[in-house]
Amino acid sequence: MLELVLRIIVYGTVVSGIWALVASGFTLIFGVGRMLNFAHGSLFVLSAYFGIVLTKELGVNPYLSFIIAVLLVGVVGVGIYKVTISPIRHHEVMVIIVTLAIALLVEQILLLIFGDYGTSFPSLVKGIVRIGELPVPTKRIVSLIVAIITLILLEIFINKTKTGKSIMASAQDMEAATLMGINVEKVFMLTMFVSSVLAGVGGLLYSQIFSIKPEVAVKALIYAFAIVILGGLGSVRGSIVASFIVGYILITVTSLFGARWSEFTMLLTIIAILIVRPRGLFGVEE
Amino acid sequence: MRLADRSLDINKMIVIAVAFVLAATIPFYVPDAFVYLIGLTFLFIILAVSWDVMVGYTGQVNLGHTVFVGIGAYTAALLQVPSRFQGSSLEFLTSMPQPPIFISIIAGGVAAAIIGLGIGIITLRLKGYYFALVTAVLPLVFMQTTFVWSGIFGGEEGFSIGLERVLAETVVGRFYAAFIIMVISLAIMLYVVNSSLGLKFKAIREDQEAAEAAGIDTVKYKLVAFIISSFFGGIAGAAMIHYRITVSPDVYGIPLMLLIILATVIGGLGTIYGSIIGGFLIYLAKYWWLREIIDKVMQAVHLPINDEVILYIILIIIGVAMPGGVYQEIKKRIKR
Repeated sequence: MLELVLRIIVYGTVVSGIWALVASGFTLIFGVGRMLNFAHGSLFVLSAYFGIVLTKELGVNPYLSFIIAVLLVGVVGVGIYKVTISPIRHHEVMVIIVTLAIALLVEQILLLIFGDYGTSFPSLVKGIVRIGELPVPTKRIVSLIVAIITLILLEIFINKTKTGKSIMASAQDMEAATLMGINVEKVFMLTMFVSSVLAGVGGLLYSQIFSIKPEVAVKALIYAFAIVILGGLGSVRGSIVASFIVGYILITVTSLFGARWSEFTMLLTIIAILIVRPRGLFGVEE
Repeated sequence: MRLADRSLDINKMIVIAVAFVLAATIPFYVPDAFVYLIGLTFLFIILAVSWDVMVGYTGQVNLGHTVFVGIGAYTAALLQVPSRFQGSSLEFLTSMPQPPIFISIIAGGVAAAIIGLGIGIITLRLKGYYFALVTAVLPLVFMQTTFVWSGIFGGEEGFSIGLERVLAETVVGRFYAAFIIMVISLAIMLYVVNSSLGLKFKAIREDQEAAEAAGIDTVKYKLVAFIISSFFGGIAGAAMIHYRITVSPDVYGIPLMLLIILATVIGGLGTIYGSIIGGFLIYLAKYWWLREIIDKVMQAVHLPINDEVILYIILIIIGVAMPGGVYQEIKKRIKR
């Protein structure tokens, strides 16, 4: 029993760290541009496949592959924004529909290329650490550390740098930001890049622990939904806190009842939040 | 001005009458195999139009319309085969008498509308983003129910309701049954969106705050639109089951959802007639010739492309280049 609790805490923390990356990226682009990017989960999966192809097919060193894959996904994200979202930015309904179509397109193409099999990014480190009685693979610990560092960097970037401040300014009031001489279109592209990079880091960390399949994109997207609804749409800090709450709920349910209940759990979590506190923990003004 | 309006109306009536006659006489000049497919297409058109009533008219993006298709389908199927409940905690339902087909289709619609009401009450009082997020999750959850309670729902394969519960014995009979169901459903939905109710829906879409200020209870009317939309989603789902006799989790599927979206977007959101034409073209394209052509082309060039990929690409291109639908875009270009 004690071991189970310890297991839930340790493993839950690692998984939550990864979902925090994904969800903060999703909420960032919403907060700044009021855009729901349904292709966010695809960026998560895409980076994992980029990394896998780079290391396994092209023989690139895993650390280097990690960085290249993340940057590539950032570029893909900006491309998606520039080509598809930017022309219809004011048409909220179409943004949702088009990004959903992109998500399904990516999933379908990955399925056709790689098939419906699980595959993994090579572990960045080997070995096992013991926490009390519980053996924990070092790669999980490393994943958590990388996730935390990335989130701290995000925090510093947004709050301390001039570019970050212009992003936040656009998030608060787009028109005022334009009047202050901020190029909003540029800010959106930059935000999309940061958002995609966050999904990308999450995807690579995920795929070095678990096996990844094209359909994981949908899973990642749903977890991101649940987290950002709990954290408050548009709040990065809220989504980080919420990802740990959602992460622990999820891992408790799946280790007690099995993975097939994870979707039910997410839906019930979302519905419960919407009934009790629809703005989430740290909802931003819409 | 008046006169122009009236002549437009007359033109419209003529087009509708011609389309009606053409559709009603299909079995006389089309081989049986395609008559079967076109009958299914009619039921699909109900789906596209009912989705449009919510999304096109009130501007709330429902990404889980297939949930209502599935609920309608499984409700009708379980009403016809109550023995599926054997061995579950709902065993008392096994002694239910089999209702007539007509009742089971209506029941499918009512069940879907009830679920729509529940989901709507929770999400529609919030901003549209929440509605989109929640409805996007729903199909996956409902699909999961068919695996978790596979004793009742039949898991991956689903189950058959038996040949004797089919809509009509002959293919042509089924075709006309589907046709009648479509015509009634479309007539009701057209009546609704052209009534003052439809005006309120559109007011909400254009500017929710202004609609609120004009005294429209936006939550209530969004809910009404959603209930109507989910009711007809359920009707089409239930009718589909009586048309093809089997039910399986694909009724909840994302491919079906995408087809519904594509049909409506091609025809133009919020136009009803556009969804009818879009629904007709897209469903036939998907199940008649698209796959064969793509397979043939791909044998020659070996690219990771199949019919789904093509449909997604079409949706992206139309969504980005002509967010008002193909017809509106052409009209705009010609005017210039």
